[in-house]
Amino acid sequence: MAEETDGEFTAFVNERGDVLLRIAYALAGSQHGAEDLLQNALAKAYARWPRIRGDAEPYVRRILYHDQVSGWRRRSRRLEVPVAALPERAGDRDSGHDADLRMLLRDALLALPPRQRAVLTLRYLEDLSVEQTAALLGCRTGTVASQTSKALAKLRHLVPALDDADQEVSR
Amino acid sequence: MSRSREDELRFAVRELAGQARTAPDLAARAIDQGRRLRARRRATAAAAALVAAAVLALPFVLLRPDAPARVAAPDQTAPAGTSTPDRTAGATASPDVVVRPTPGADWTKRALVLPGGWVVAGAMLPGPSGDGYVLDRGRDRYLRTDGYDGVWRAPQGAVSAVADDDRPGEIGLVDAAAGKTRWHRTGQWIMSPQWSPDGLRLALTIFDKDEGALRFGVLDTTGDFRVFGVDTDTYLCTDHCFFTWSRDGREVVLQQTDPNSRRSESERHARRGVQLFSPDDGRPTRFVAMPGDPAGPWSWSPDGRLVVVQGRTEPLLVEAGTGRVVRALPTADVAWISVDRLLYRRPGGSRDYVLADLTGRELERQPLPRELVGREITVGPR
Repeated sequence: MAEETDGEFTAFVNERGDVLLRIAYALAGSQHGAEDLLQNALAKAYARWPRIRGDAEPYVRRILYHDQVSGWRRRSRRLEVPVAALPERAGDRDSGHDADLRMLLRDALLALPPRQRAVLTLRYLEDLSVEQTAALLGCRTGTVASQTSKALAKLRHLVPALDDADQEVSR
Repeated sequence: MSRSREDELRFAVRELAGQARTAPDLAARAIDQGRRLRARRRATAAAAALVAAAVLALPFVLLRPDAPARVAAPDQTAPAGTSTPDRTAGATASPDVVVRPTPGADWTKRALVLPGGWVVAGAMLPGPSGDGYVLDRGRDRYLRTDGYDGVWRAPQGAVSAVADDDRPGEIGLVDAAAGKTRWHRTGQWIMSPQWSPDGLRLALTIFDKDEGALRFGVLDTTGDFRVFGVDTDTYLCTDHCFFTWSRDGREVVLQQTDPNSRRSESERHARRGVQLFSPDDGRPTRFVAMPGDPAGPWSWSPDGRLVVVQGRTEPLLVEAGTGRVVRALPTADVAWISVDRLLYRRPGGSRDYVLADLTGRELERQPLPRELVGREITVGPR
């Protein structure tokens, strides 16, 4: 029985581990943090494998996000990615260079609080809607909207070039 | 944010995620840690079983009465719910507002009656939480909840809905009077379950991620469960969507986005009204125009002609059907308890419930016990 569980679990991790690690990296902001975050989530999945085996990936994703915005943050604030100084403001540079903008955005993302980064990861990495994001985080859609709004406001502050008004879009 | 900038952000998030390097031995490390975790859980469960066996008075395993051993001095001058109103207490109170005394430490021993005669039926920590209190109406006292991952007390009746992370896709109905929990398979649902005003039916918002389909489920306290699809092209809802109930509990309500209005993630989406559906067969029944979202069945006036909604920028009292705004109000999360009285959590003062008239003028205020401050509260008729 244990061998069967271990085999299934290992196959699952081998197949989906890299995808999950990408999400964990976007949440934690570092390789070490991402591996810790994912390992914790996978350990919880393993402990409950008989119950979740058919639905393991959604379970692990949920744990990843939940741990990131709650327990993980409580356990150790030092595990957050330290950002010694605010990223260089894009307004000081040539905002026409998309690569520069993305690099600045990447740095700015690391300066966001865990919950805001989690919301943006769900919205922009996983392309989830507000409703789906709320469902996964276990919060109201209004909370998702406000966290998204705050995150974007902070990104605009850190990277003014992001603030170009154009066509409003929504999902 | 512009589409091009939104795309830049999407690229940046993906680039950040793409920096991850394959982790060696991830499965083996997780298995080791998972085995330790499982061993700890088993040890904890065994200890909990011993404790449960020792406390035979528990009506059921995970929902237990508040510990009576906590003997703190009650408010001797005025016990909760039976006090004489104090017209002078409260430094920030208007002289015209009746301010009741704060309930004493023994507030769990009787139903906490709010101004206007309604009671606190349940109080949970924000978000899906099993940590809180529910009113045992049969014994007129509060039970401490513990162990579940979500508890939603019905405003009337004896039942609470509960969720357990170990039982995904199921909802438990706990009858405090009978001390029984019955689990029902409902499939995955999102948002908070919404009780009908009579506490006999539960509306679930179901979003099928794979199909992109929106459905609502209706779970009867008898255990009967039905799911109905909603044509979201016809009945468009974006932003904050959940199924709730009409005032009389005969229809299920879904917010309707104004399709002609510009939408942005940084502000509430404009509404054109609410669409109502039959909870018996899922049939669309009627559309009611209004410029915002009712929080639930108690948002509607008893005759259904007026309704309190969360407008795009502020809470509003509006005419149902015409959508005419009567006036702005301090909060949208109200219980319309009689023809001209609203009961709500005092905005900016989560410590108080207030009874107000339809202009938002406060008439009576009830400070909450310390344990309820910061919790999401369900109120219901006495």
